[in-house]
Amino acid sequence: MSLPSPTPRFTPPPQVADRPRLELRNLRKRLGDTAAVNGIDLSVAPGESVVLLGPSGCGKTTTLRMVAGFLQPDGGEIHLDGVVASTSAFALPPEKRQLGMVFQSYAVWPHRTVAENVGYGLEVAGKKKTEIEAGVAEVLDLVQLSALAKRYPAELSGGQQQRVALARALATKPSLLLLDEPLSNLDASLREEMRFELRALQKSIGLTTLYVTHDQDEALVLADRIVVMNKGRIEQVGTPEEVYRTPASRFVGSFVGIANLLEGEVDAVDRAAGKVRIALDAGDRLWSRAPARWLADAAPGSRATVLLRPEDFRLEQPQVPDQETGIDVSFLSESFLGSHYELKLQAGTTPLRVQSRRRGSFVDGRTRLWARPGSAWVVA
Amino acid sequence: MSEITASHHLAEGTRATTPLLRRLSSLQPVRFLIIGGSIAILLALIAYPLALLAGYSFIDAHGNLTFDTFQKAFARRGMWQATLNSGWLVLFVTVGACALGVPLAWIVTRTDAPGKALITLSAGISFVIPTFISVISWIFLAAPNSGYLNRFAVEYLGFSAAPLNIMSFGGLVFIEIVGVYPLVFFAVSAALNNIDASHEQAARVLGAGRLRTTLTVTLPLVRPAILSAVILVMLDALSSFGAPAAIGTMANFSVITTKIYDLLKFPPQFNYAAAVAMPILIVTAISLLIQKYAIRTENFRTLTGKATPEQITRLGRWRWLAGGFCLVVAFGTAILPVGALVLLSLLSSFGAPISIGNLVTKHYGLIFDEDFVARASIIHSMLLALATATVCATLGLVLGWVVERFRFFGRELISFLVMIAYGFPSIAYAVGILMGYVDLFYGTLTLILIAYAGKLLPIAFVLVRNGIQQLSTDLEEAARISGAGWLRSIKDVTFPLVRGAVGIAWVLVFSLSLRELSMSAILAQSDTQVMPTVVLQFIEDGAVELAAALAVIIVAVSLSMLGLIRLFTRKKTAAVS
Repeated sequence: MSLPSPTPRFTPPPQVADRPRLELRNLRKRLGDTAAVNGIDLSVAPGESVVLLGPSGCGKTTTLRMVAGFLQPDGGEIHLDGVVASTSAFALPPEKRQLGMVFQSYAVWPHRTVAENVGYGLEVAGKKKTEIEAGVAEVLDLVQLSALAKRYPAELSGGQQQRVALARALATKPSLLLLDEPLSNLDASLREEMRFELRALQKSIGLTTLYVTHDQDEALVLADRIVVMNKGRIEQVGTPEEVYRTPASRFVGSFVGIANLLEGEVDAVDRAAGKVRIALDAGDRLWSRAPARWLADAAPGSRATVLLRPEDFRLEQPQVPDQETGIDVSFLSESFLGSHYELKLQAGTTPLRVQSRRRGSFVDGRTRLWARPGSAWVVA
Repeated sequence: MSEITASHHLAEGTRATTPLLRRLSSLQPVRFLIIGGSIAILLALIAYPLALLAGYSFIDAHGNLTFDTFQKAFARRGMWQATLNSGWLVLFVTVGACALGVPLAWIVTRTDAPGKALITLSAGISFVIPTFISVISWIFLAAPNSGYLNRFAVEYLGFSAAPLNIMSFGGLVFIEIVGVYPLVFFAVSAALNNIDASHEQAARVLGAGRLRTTLTVTLPLVRPAILSAVILVMLDALSSFGAPAAIGTMANFSVITTKIYDLLKFPPQFNYAAAVAMPILIVTAISLLIQKYAIRTENFRTLTGKATPEQITRLGRWRWLAGGFCLVVAFGTAILPVGALVLLSLLSSFGAPISIGNLVTKHYGLIFDEDFVARASIIHSMLLALATATVCATLGLVLGWVVERFRFFGRELISFLVMIAYGFPSIAYAVGILMGYVDLFYGTLTLILIAYAGKLLPIAFVLVRNGIQQLSTDLEEAARISGAGWLRSIKDVTFPLVRGAVGIAWVLVFSLSLRELSMSAILAQSDTQVMPTVVLQFIEDGAVELAAALAVIIVAVSLSMLGLIRLFTRKKTAAVS
């Protein structure tokens, strides 16, 4: 499978530049006894790809289903293209929202051929037969399924059904495309391939998408902005780099990527450079970047937690280290993963996961660990 | 549903232009009307007559709560005897049906006995033939003096007196057992088939012998199936009307259901009839509660699977004994009665020697004679069956959808109401219908249609609901998000995907309406006779040849309609995730 051609043959609907495609204002929804969505504000700009990322039960799917119109919010508002679509008192039915949606289960209709599935939205809209055929051919070409137009879904592979679902959602040229964990039913290698393909498609035709997933890798590949959710609230909104390198909370740090968290006490503050020096409980002192807001209140003696990613550790001392002696660690176990070694170490009582190209040398099962300069980050 | 061009307003953002229309569309009026209408029909069909029934038996002429009606009703002559008879009937039939059904199920699913296929076939036939029709066959075979088996026994086997008497309480028990044992047989067979071989193998690996495994693993696993079947059999026996009416008239005894029927003869005494129906209702309610709480929780244990060769017991020498048993059962419960029925319908007169020369078609000629009551009853029955099947399939689809897809407080109430109708004894239900609708629809087929539709709706509801349950909600939501309104999503996605279940429901309801006797007997007037009531009339009048001819028609139409089910199930049904 090759990537779709970069020339945008598929023209997205005309868009008003400034107005957000989707705007959520203080959105709330209770399901049973739990506040599934507990006050969410978010806006999605035209052409943007926003990914809602979070563990199961964080409210991401509930949010998506409210946007689609399958659920009505208990509070707050949903605006589509600047017009109210849902409030607690009013909900535009799904069929009037001009959206496209790709479902986790694909939801490809088994009694209709590929072409009939894809053309359904146009058929319902009352388009002429020739228009429908042209529209179907265009999107099937886009997802490279033209050869299978006459087949029934039962004759297709999972990946192909996935493409049918995508083509069906695109056929009506929706102003906003909703995707509910669309790749989670595919096997691992196909899933990885489809990520890049979806991203290329989204960019080439300028789609506006709201994508729900619990898979951080998927979110990193697909998002212009990631919205990390937990317990019905937004923990952080940011670009993939921001979310990964400068997480706003411990939760974000541990949910996106693997987090090594080291506790310590602030020992010096350099507000100009946006840095603090922390005396780690496990020994050694370490310069770390920190969020501006946290930095404003930081003073020597206050407690702090430092986040370090497994790939940011070194077993040799860097030329200009942020540390003084290196962290004294003991060896627990080692696995070889092809591209690198995965080491489990322990600093004091804190377990650490470290990725290293080299095996490293240990004396009596101990060694000194260094952070890549500029990689440490204080999490609130 | 009016298509509002929301697209423009969304795109232009002219917020104020159509707030009213947009608000209207958010109510989804078509969906509201169809669902509301279906629920209203459900209430009219089931809740209203049942409420009346309870009201009549507990409230006196002045509107006060009273138990007087019960006292008076049960003080009537023969009422306690009839109640007692019903009790014995239920006991004997339940024991008999289990004694026949459970061993047969085990032989068929777990042994290498010959003649297994024959048993499944004959259980199917017994199941399809209603008891008021098998009465005809057995009158032919075992009437005290003139029954052909009795004559054979006296003339050739040296009996001094006729050994068999179908016109007795024992005869009634026998006919009821033959009619209901398939319930036990099919339920237990299915359960035995569904036990995953690994359950039993695990016990064998741990050192349990074959017998010990059967007792400690297999039987406990099929216990819920046996219990469910027992409850169904009890309810069936308790509310049975056809055979008790036919045999009771001749042998001069009554059960509760025939007493209710008598109370409704002119002048009808609704309040007594309602009061007498109450014990049946109470037993039914208790049984359904037991079913719901004691059995359902257990039922989830059964797993899917298929009996594997390792689970088949080799019977060795006993094989032929088991085979012989199968043959006797098949012969006695299916081949003999069906043969007798067909033979009787062709015989010049009951009692005439069986010879080619005595075979005539004059009974069928009379059945189809324009001036005779039977012909009109065929037309009535067909019309009613068509209408009932269509009403039930449609209602089943809408209500099944509502219960599966709609989150609102009343959905539990809907399935509760429908299931009440299922457990409700036909005869009592018919009393309720009569009280509720006699003024509006006296002497019309509509009155019978209401009764049939209410009583048979549960079958359609359960079948279609199961179909909808297996459909992922996403399939419909995908249609909605593509721009289809509610009704359109049902038409384009839901209906095509549950068409098989709807079709099967239609056919089943059609067949069952065709043979419905207990409600028809109460509701049919001289101008609205249906086939089963005419058959019963023929039996009571002693015109068994005519009864047989009309019964053959009922059975033939039922069987060929059921054959249609194969058409629905065989059809290519695409895999649904």
